[in-house]
Amino acid sequence: MSSFTASFAVRAYIAVAAVGLTAPIIGSFLVQRRLALIGDGIGHLAFAGVAIGVALSIAPVCGALATAILGALALERLRTKGRIAGDLALAFVFYGALASALVLLSLRHRLDASAIGVLFGNPYVASWNDVITIVVLCAVVVATIVPFYPQLLAVALDEETARAAGLPVDALNLLTVTLTALLVAAGMRVVGLLLIASLLVIPIAAGSRLAHSFRRTISWGVAFGIASCIGGLLFALGQGNVHPGGTMVLAAIAGFVAAAFAGRRAARRHPRQTGS
Amino acid sequence: MPLTVELGAVRFAYGASPVLEGADLELEAGEFVVLAGHNGSGKSTLLKLCLGLLRSQAGTVRVLGGSPEDPAVRRRIGYAPQGLRVVTSIPVSVDEVVTAGLTPVRPMIRRIPDEDSRIASALKAVGMEDLAHECLFELSGGQQQRTILARALVADPPLLLLDEPTTGIDQSLRPRLAAELRARADRGATVLAVSHDPDDFHAVLDRILVIADGRIRQMSHDQFHAHFDVS
Repeated sequence: MSSFTASFAVRAYIAVAAVGLTAPIIGSFLVQRRLALIGDGIGHLAFAGVAIGVALSIAPVCGALATAILGALALERLRTKGRIAGDLALAFVFYGALASALVLLSLRHRLDASAIGVLFGNPYVASWNDVITIVVLCAVVVATIVPFYPQLLAVALDEETARAAGLPVDALNLLTVTLTALLVAAGMRVVGLLLIASLLVIPIAAGSRLAHSFRRTISWGVAFGIASCIGGLLFALGQGNVHPGGTMVLAAIAGFVAAAFAGRRAARRHPRQTGS
Repeated sequence: MPLTVELGAVRFAYGASPVLEGADLELEAGEFVVLAGHNGSGKSTLLKLCLGLLRSQAGTVRVLGGSPEDPAVRRRIGYAPQGLRVVTSIPVSVDEVVTAGLTPVRPMIRRIPDEDSRIASALKAVGMEDLAHECLFELSGGQQQRTILARALVADPPLLLLDEPTTGIDQSLRPRLAAELRARADRGATVLAVSHDPDDFHAVLDRILVIADGRIRQMSHDQFHAHFDVS
């Protein structure tokens, strides 16, 4: 049986496609609000959650999910209350969570390849239970965004005007970071906690080079997200000994470069006329 | 006519710097009022107090018969902030920005039955009907400002709070916008436009109010020009 059609590969296709589809949707609101790196911070938090899960002998994904959500909510509160600058808050979270995870894992003598593996992910080792968990988490993220899309977009476009219009801005911001935490937990097994944030950002950045509206940018972002995940996975499967997490992210970057080139060509062919 | 905006002895300061001190204001339904004053006199602050974005340190603020901190009250206000506040990371189309003005009055998931015609009508009111699907950031500053105005108008609110609504807009288009706002007032809406130059609305406005030394005073057009020496 070819490695492309083996059962582990089929599970990997489903898992990475679910993450590739979902990440740009939630990523669009983060990028628009210039919070592109918050996914990275939540990834570091989730690593601390994995360590807590190991220390308490519970499933790492449960520890990651709980820590990512609680940490994301705390991070958003720090940011909105203005007690600490956004980038400074992220830095504390980045390094504090990573350091805590290393200390906890080493104290439990579990600082081994499997623990370090969640930083970079490996879709080949995903079981059917993992795949179901990933698909369910991604479905929850998408199913939550759909009804709240107009409100989330209004806040992403102009937070002050949304607040002035009576929208529950704080609650919608908390919803955004909570959904980001769900996506990070979903993607940690297949893409890794250090690389999952790239799928929140790069496909949307690529889509923004081709689209003229928010909705179109998301559509293009989803297409780039799925294509880069599946394309990167196929390349890694074909090579045999290349890490698929890396190839998926590099495929996303290649997609961005292609989109930027195509967008500039289109702009030169069809320059827009504007008046005063 | 019922009062839509009531400020009584309002005080507000940024730190140790007082902006409003004992400011009083009453606006009726159907009035078109321009609020003028020097830079830093408190014009935008007053709008933000009416929107519940700032809280007065003394005095009372009532809007549309309720507290401006009540989301149900805020949903009935059309607000156009000064300048373009929409951030620029992702392309956004003109109709997406205008649609955001309907979000506070829109039920979850479902669209408002006449949503498309409302958006088209708001865009037509500001002369942007042919640019609905254009990317906002490929438009001129004046077109972007008109888009923000259309967002404030689209829900047909009973109170319009507009902060420097003509900034960047071509002189030839300003009478059309002034006539549109007058028509809204004639249909019962209250229009409060902050402007450093009431001449933009001279032909259609009901009153000129001026903030000076923390208080609000009414002036005639001639008094305004005599005071500010702009004519």
